[in-house]
Amino acid sequence: QENSSIVKGVVQNNNGDALAGVSVVIRNTANNFTSGTSTDSTGVFTFSRIPAGGPYKFTFSIVGYESQTLSGYNIKSDITLSLVVKMKDAANSLDQVIVIGYGSQRKRAVTGSVVSVSAEQFKDRSSSNVAQSIEGTVPGVNISTTQGAPGFGPTIRVRGINSITAGTNPLYVVDGMAMENFDLNIINAQDIQSIEILKDAASAAIYGSRGANGVIIVTTKLGKAGKPQVNLAYEQGLQKVTRKVEVMDAQQWIQYYIDARNNAWVASGPGRSATDPNSARGGNKTYLIPPDFINNPQQFGKGTDWQDVLFRTAHSQNIQASISGGTDRAQYLFSAGYLDQDAVVIDNFYKRLSLRMNIRQKITEKVTAGLNISFTGNHSRIDGVEGKSDVVSLAQQSDPIFPVYNENGNLGFLDPNSTWNRFTAYGVQLWHPYSLIKYANKRNKVYNTIGGGYIEIKPINDLTFKSSVNAILTQRNYNWFWQTNAGYGYSTLLPAEGRYQTYNNLNWLTENSLSYDKVLGDHTIGALVAYTAQKQRGDTSQQRGTNYPNDLVQTLNAAGTPTLSTTTAGEWALLSWLSRVSYSYKNRYFLNGTIRRDGSSRFGQASRWGYFPSLSVGWLISDESFMQSVSAINNLKLRVSYGATGNNQIPNYGPISLIDGVKYAYSDNVVNGSRVTTIPNPNLKWEKTTQFNVGFDLTALNNRINVTADFYNSITKDLLLNVPVPILTGFATQLTNIGRVRNRGVELAISSKNIVNSDLKWTTDFNIAANRNKVLQLGPNNAPVIVEEWGSRFVTEVGKPISNFVGYVFDGVYNNQDEINKGPQYASGVVVTPGDPKVRDVTGEGKIDATDRTILGNGQPDFTAGLTNTVSYKNFEFSFMLHGVFGNEIVNQQTRYNKYWNDSRNAYAAIGNYWKSEQQPGDGKTFKPNAEFKGMQTQFSSYWIEDGTFVRIKNIRLSYTLPKTVSSKLSFRTMRVYVNAENVHVFSKYLGYDPENSIYSTGTDAATSNTPFPPGLMVGADYGSYPIPLTVTFGLKVDL
Amino acid sequence: CKKSFLELAPVSNNSTNNFFKTKSDFDLAVNNAYSTLYTMYGPTGLVSYCGELMSDNATLYTVAGSGSITVGDRWAFRDYTLNPANNVVNQLWNDSYVSLYNLNIVLDRIQDATSLDAGYVTQVTAEMRFLRGMYYFYMVQAWGDVPLVTKPLTPGEAFTTGRTPRAEVYNQVIDDLKYAGDNLTAPDKVPAAGRASKGAALTLLGKVYLTMGNKTAAAQTLQQVYSSYNGNAYNLLPEFGSLWGATLAQKNTKESIFEIQYKGGANNPSSTYWPAFAPFENFAITRFGGGMNQVTDDLYNEYETGDKRRDTSFELGYLKGGNWIAIKFQKKWKDANAPIVNAAESCNNNFIIIRYADVLLMLTEATGDVQYMNRVRARAGLPLYGTAGYPAAQYPTLDLAIEHERRMEFAMEFHRWFDLKRTGRAVPVLSAKGKPVNANKLLLPIPQFARDQNPDLGQNDGY
Repeated sequence: QENSSIVKGVVQNNNGDALAGVSVVIRNTANNFTSGTSTDSTGVFTFSRIPAGGPYKFTFSIVGYESQTLSGYNIKSDITLSLVVKMKDAANSLDQVIVIGYGSQRKRAVTGSVVSVSAEQFKDRSSSNVAQSIEGTVPGVNISTTQGAPGFGPTIRVRGINSITAGTNPLYVVDGMAMENFDLNIINAQDIQSIEILKDAASAAIYGSRGANGVIIVTTKLGKAGKPQVNLAYEQGLQKVTRKVEVMDAQQWIQYYIDARNNAWVASGPGRSATDPNSARGGNKTYLIPPDFINNPQQFGKGTDWQDVLFRTAHSQNIQASISGGTDRAQYLFSAGYLDQDAVVIDNFYKRLSLRMNIRQKITEKVTAGLNISFTGNHSRIDGVEGKSDVVSLAQQSDPIFPVYNENGNLGFLDPNSTWNRFTAYGVQLWHPYSLIKYANKRNKVYNTIGGGYIEIKPINDLTFKSSVNAILTQRNYNWFWQTNAGYGYSTLLPAEGRYQTYNNLNWLTENSLSYDKVLGDHTIGALVAYTAQKQRGDTSQQRGTNYPNDLVQTLNAAGTPTLSTTTAGEWALLSWLSRVSYSYKNRYFLNGTIRRDGSSRFGQASRWGYFPSLSVGWLISDESFMQSVSAINNLKLRVSYGATGNNQIPNYGPISLIDGVKYAYSDNVVNGSRVTTIPNPNLKWEKTTQFNVGFDLTALNNRINVTADFYNSITKDLLLNVPVPILTGFATQLTNIGRVRNRGVELAISSKNIVNSDLKWTTDFNIAANRNKVLQLGPNNAPVIVEEWGSRFVTEVGKPISNFVGYVFDGVYNNQDEINKGPQYASGVVVTPGDPKVRDVTGEGKIDATDRTILGNGQPDFTAGLTNTVSYKNFEFSFMLHGVFGNEIVNQQTRYNKYWNDSRNAYAAIGNYWKSEQQPGDGKTFKPNAEFKGMQTQFSSYWIEDGTFVRIKNIRLSYTLPKTVSSKLSFRTMRVYVNAENVHVFSKYLGYDPENSIYSTGTDAATSNTPFPPGLMVGADYGSYPIPLTVTFGLKVDL
Repeated sequence: CKKSFLELAPVSNNSTNNFFKTKSDFDLAVNNAYSTLYTMYGPTGLVSYCGELMSDNATLYTVAGSGSITVGDRWAFRDYTLNPANNVVNQLWNDSYVSLYNLNIVLDRIQDATSLDAGYVTQVTAEMRFLRGMYYFYMVQAWGDVPLVTKPLTPGEAFTTGRTPRAEVYNQVIDDLKYAGDNLTAPDKVPAAGRASKGAALTLLGKVYLTMGNKTAAAQTLQQVYSSYNGNAYNLLPEFGSLWGATLAQKNTKESIFEIQYKGGANNPSSTYWPAFAPFENFAITRFGGGMNQVTDDLYNEYETGDKRRDTSFELGYLKGGNWIAIKFQKKWKDANAPIVNAAESCNNNFIIIRYADVLLMLTEATGDVQYMNRVRARAGLPLYGTAGYPAAQYPTLDLAIEHERRMEFAMEFHRWFDLKRTGRAVPVLSAKGKPVNANKLLLPIPQFARDQNPDLGQNDGY
């Protein structure tokens, strides 16, 4: 017998492009002759000197594609057999490889709850932050755009809120670099290959003390062997606020003003009448009415709508380019992107330059090394995201009577030479959002460099040693200059002030791992051990100065008086051991076990180290012989998992009692003092979440229907609580591990290929998720955790979900004295008159006191859902997406400015129909304005609560791909044009801009607030957040 | 290596792990303890709210909110419409116990600091106990029964600490002040200007006895101050108007017995009484206008003709854009040269908590001997009590004369309401002026927030 035959072939993908690096195995099934090779950069493979005979079987496999087998070839002597093989994309198939913590797995072997989102799923979307593009598509991953400002990252919560005081952000792992509180804006969406979200504790347990909020793994692209690919894209976009808040115009507001002051005057003492002139009302501004309002209100017309002054239609452009390619030994990707986006708030912008280089080189057969480096620079100015006293909130509060510019070309009525100055005598207020932008210069610059290098050595078959070093360097500086008197626009006259802040942060991580993977007949085993060390140090500096000679030079060298100069630094470190063992039998029964041991500098000495184990199993039922007859079911896998994860997001020095400096003066000598600022807690440790998950993945009806369903039950114990403690300790709170919270929920994702003709395709993706959150145990005596902010009250108590809104029930308006007399008694000092709010006597004791406060709602939704339909016809593709959140309530914190009289601010037009007299009771649910509230008006009540349910048309896309015949003539591989619209419409009754918005004060005001504002505790409060604009982009993408 | 990698000490803070050991640590802790005076006696502190705003001296017009405090929360003091949910009451309660903690931690830790010399330990202990006695004295007058905390508490202990009957709180006050009186140095021997002295402790102790109705003990204690220091360490300044000056020479004068120390300027612990008490957002006389403790006509009109103190103490209004805004406000703490820091006047003048005029007026109150009071009247340029020019028709008894004299002398210095309470005159005097006051309302409510945490605290009657 002669071994003279040759087998040659070429392997291609769906599009007919050559696939390099495909492993090809030839096997004679009769005598078990076996040989293997792989395709070269042109997709070609060759076997020479193949013994004649057969039957031969060829197996083709490569990551990302379904394996293929061709069998039944009989090869004769001295001939050349030629094969052309087309590989099918592995998306949605069990052979798709997805990234998991510290490795990858075929989807078949995944036993936890892991969602993989490929780049295809967010192509053409315009958000600079990729998380916004997947909002609403992943059940159990609640992504909310809390502020619509460009560059502002959404809030992401995986499977409910499992922490009250500690952070609730997931852990991000970008190409192996693990980061807390990472901003996904740093990663150019174009560079992302896939995003994997580890939802259940078993999957996340390998991230140990940082896995409890879920893990988001981002993998960036790398070229494939073959011809270099060039991708170019250009987008033009427009943004606009389409859902303005209706506020009063000048005429409505003047009436409101007059009524408020008259009502206060009449109530201030006996014998006083609304017709009394100013001269009879003493010198107290509270009762005075500018004569202009009485004599000639028409002069003000409709006045100024400050939202129109603040907002504009904003343009953006986005330019992207990337080159990728390589050989079977080396692959690369270079990419660049430039985003230049104006914000809908005047003078605001966000610019981002992102550059990336990913390289992987096989040095010898046993050694491979790689390097990923990216740089992202942001320059931006963003106003309006600070909530209550920022421009977005102020635009709703500012008095409509004032023009933007006064007759002197200045802005405000505080200008002593302006005729508008006559209003200063009446306590009228104007914050003039325009002046806060035009007369305060701000510039934020952020530079992030992420770099990671690795080397993989395979000393023997099946064994891999990998060593890597990753680092992220963040540099930020912020310039601020407030011009003298701000054009008289602000509510007070302030001197010029300059500020300069810097932040430098280096976070490095080194990992060394050994992994072993082996197939032994029906048994597949895998094992991994790794040791990692990570450390971060952040340095801040702040300088401030005043006493500028003029507004021309704004840097601090021109400030005559430096007022602040300080630097601070903080560090943390983490050491870990981790291991995973996986085993499968017959590729049908799967078992994964992981354990991680973490030691963190953030925790007390007594409890620094902890273990985080997990165990999960899977059963591919559809591969059982008894299922072969069920032809309707293609795949069915059952998964069960249990694991433990932790949350370490607390201050760096939480266990230690810190001391801060204070000052005192003995006569003229200023001396330093030292004040203890926190209570120590040497036992402080991470929160521990254990979660049970059971789910199944089903593919049915000839792969037309895909269903994934999960149920989970998780218990978080040792909650890191900033437990309010009696002030008798000298402190309002102590950081303590105490309490338990349960989250349980169900998640369902269905995707269906409704029509799969060659010309017409229609797919529907639907997902729905519900989470129920319950506090099982709290601090000492199970004392509720109460957070108050301007009256609004958020109570976390045992047996209830985290952070209920608690206050009085507002039952309309007293129409006359008789109703008041018959109603419950009010506490001493509360004076109720007709037209004032009626508060429900919840306890039925005949009097209204603190015990009548009751649960008014909660910010957590009953369920969330998303629906995407994609229809393609020939070269057109059309898709639209709906996103809905149902059953939550919102605390509209703007109520205290816009929904009742507050110091002459403007108000919602919706409250214009307030009680005027017994004969004109208005709409019955709006109490009369009063410049001196003496009843329950300002008490937190259901008057503040609004329904948070909404359905949003989140996205509409239409794209057209030029036919291949045309594009090839133009020497493009593909060319596509598209239009993409984000946030097209929201269906909601909410009075504010957007029910998805939420913001609360992030600072702490130690003197006056009872507790700081823990991130988990004021969910669902909107305090004047930045609206989410409608965004329309037009794009062109060309692949060369 | 493994251990040190994770052992990260705070970079930018000290911690209690390495503090409270040396004399210099305790010096810093003592300085901090004195800085609690800025809170307790600040323009929006406990003594200001009670002493003036709840009296007939002060009123409010439009005034700023701050943090969670609303305008209404402030008005409620003026109007006697306080309720347990009032955010100011809560803040004052919190401020009081935070201040006490900063004294108690020193008292607690100094017992374990074995390397310190005994004299230093006694000195520091006496100073802390002086401040603690003073704070409890005001707290017990404001709230009645209060939790008596004399050492740092763990949260567990704090949750179960109830209120202590007023009489026991007074016992603690007397203990503390006696210890301070026995162990503090003479006024001219204090370690630095502004530190507590024997004279300060005894004067305050005298006031406590007076408040408890024990005139004999009060007289005895105050006589001790008088006999030791009258004319040497302590005396009345010749000019009433020079008491609050902002220059170094005008601070810590002979009339000063205990005085809070301030220094104006950026990053300095500056005084804010002047802008805080200026009319709200006047933008004419001050850059910042807090609008607190505005002056009532009733107070202004009580001054006798020729009383030099009236025009030293008040402004009748201010000019704004050509308009006269007729709001009376005080100017004792005016500092015309104050630098502007963070858009507010950063003033240099001190605040005198106890001055010698008080010793004299209390001596008259305790002994019935008018010679002391007449020294105060003489300085004001007024006819002496008992002489022909005295307005005896208006103030027919010595008690009323003292009440009048104290109001005039200490106007806006946080005394009035405590004086009226001490003499049992609060209800008649304030009701006559239209305040809806009764005996219950002469105590503040226990804050609802504290009661939510520990319902055993109970509540004062009437709330």
